[in-house]
Amino acid sequence: MNFTRRNDQVVCFVLNKLDVDDLALPPDARVYVEAYHRTELKRFDFGTVGNMTPPLSTDLTDMAYRDNLKFRILVVDASDNKVLAHADRIAPDKPAERKSILEVNLEDLGNQIWQVVYEGDEGRPILCINKSIPEEIARQDPQFMVYVYPAVVREILTNMVFVEEVTSVEDPAVDWHADWLQFSRDLGITPPEVLNHAEQGFDKGKALEWIDEVVTKFSDTLGSKFQEYLQKLEGAP
Amino acid sequence: MTALRTMLQQGENEFRKYLQAVRKNPSALRPDLNSSPFSQEFSPRIEVDEAKAFASKLDLAAYLDNCFRTVGAKDEAILGNKGLWTWLAYLWFDQLTNRRNNILKRDEHYICAETSNYRRYYIHLVSPPYEIYSKPDLRPFSMLFLYNPPWEINDFTERVAANQFLTSHANVIQVIYRLYFDQSKGKPRPRATSRGVAGSVRSFIRVFQQLELTYDVYSMSPEQIVDLLPSEFDLWKRAKP
Repeated sequence: MNFTRRNDQVVCFVLNKLDVDDLALPPDARVYVEAYHRTELKRFDFGTVGNMTPPLSTDLTDMAYRDNLKFRILVVDASDNKVLAHADRIAPDKPAERKSILEVNLEDLGNQIWQVVYEGDEGRPILCINKSIPEEIARQDPQFMVYVYPAVVREILTNMVFVEEVTSVEDPAVDWHADWLQFSRDLGITPPEVLNHAEQGFDKGKALEWIDEVVTKFSDTLGSKFQEYLQKLEGAP
Repeated sequence: MTALRTMLQQGENEFRKYLQAVRKNPSALRPDLNSSPFSQEFSPRIEVDEAKAFASKLDLAAYLDNCFRTVGAKDEAILGNKGLWTWLAYLWFDQLTNRRNNILKRDEHYICAETSNYRRYYIHLVSPPYEIYSKPDLRPFSMLFLYNPPWEINDFTERVAANQFLTSHANVIQVIYRLYFDQSKGKPRPRATSRGVAGSVRSFIRVFQQLELTYDVYSMSPEQIVDLLPSEFDLWKRAKP
């Protein structure tokens, strides 16, 4: 998809290509593109799989929120309204502009070293580090890193599971949940099937075990820092 | 009457300090933030009544809708304008705290969060009621979100409206209204939002998030959606409107 911006806001889009050949979709299945944000949703009919016809206009200027629009492509069997294929949360951001999984701010935290606040997009976590601590310490000091970052990961995952509601492990409704679940998978840890504490089938023990495994694996990635820290301790008078 | 204003960063900071102070001492004096550099007048000029009493969130939303429509203010200038909503909460602070008897714990009930932060945004006491009311296709079912006094939290707003996919589908809101709102009493059915209650709105959100992966709910009628709901919703389906 290509997006046209005006004053930094998406005003229309083009669906250049939809490659569905491998999906064996029926040629008469309907193709829709939806632009959405909060209370707003605008649907565009792109015809059928066998005969894709872009609408005359993909104008988005009548939508009140164009800052954070996301897009969804749906292929639907019109006879029974079943979704045959979909791609969701397509963001018009350029990949280079994507935010990291954890935003870090330096703030006045009084006598606290760090704190996680859930004030980013959709309640995304932000790590606040006491601004009295020199930035290079926060970035690379072995002691700081091995003490703080695994605890931060544990805090975020615990909050995500036990305070928030992870609606689905495969396709969570909240983007930052998806990012942190992917973080776990990238570390080689598969999340439990149910992580919504309000849902039947939620196993508190399994959830805690998963958090432990992620923190352990993440700590392994800081192994060299831990060794540096140990050497420092050994060298200390 | 006073001219509608938009709270600026310095005003928000002072309002936040005031919130901290008034929680400790309900008689703390509210600072005057109706001038630069704390706030600026909204354009086009709109007059609002500081003394206006609202019986419900619906009353408040309808009043604002009338103010905005009278001058032809555009949605895009209003809806994402967090400074405007913060200032309105400041203006009607006494009313939004039931004369300071019900001061809520989170600053975001009064200071409007970034609109992209759905969960924080939707706990604001002024903006979400207006936003829901302002959508013509949601308005017939808006009592679900607007039935209670302006100073109270509304569970449906926090549960349902904070989930953007649901509120962008009027047919889904119609289903929620049908299942969980008792029109004869003008309020939600008992335990409609309770945790651990079979078929409550919490279950609905969970089940619906699974259904929307399989069905094109946008194209479905409310009746078709109701028919898809599993047996845990039977009691709610049978309840009289």
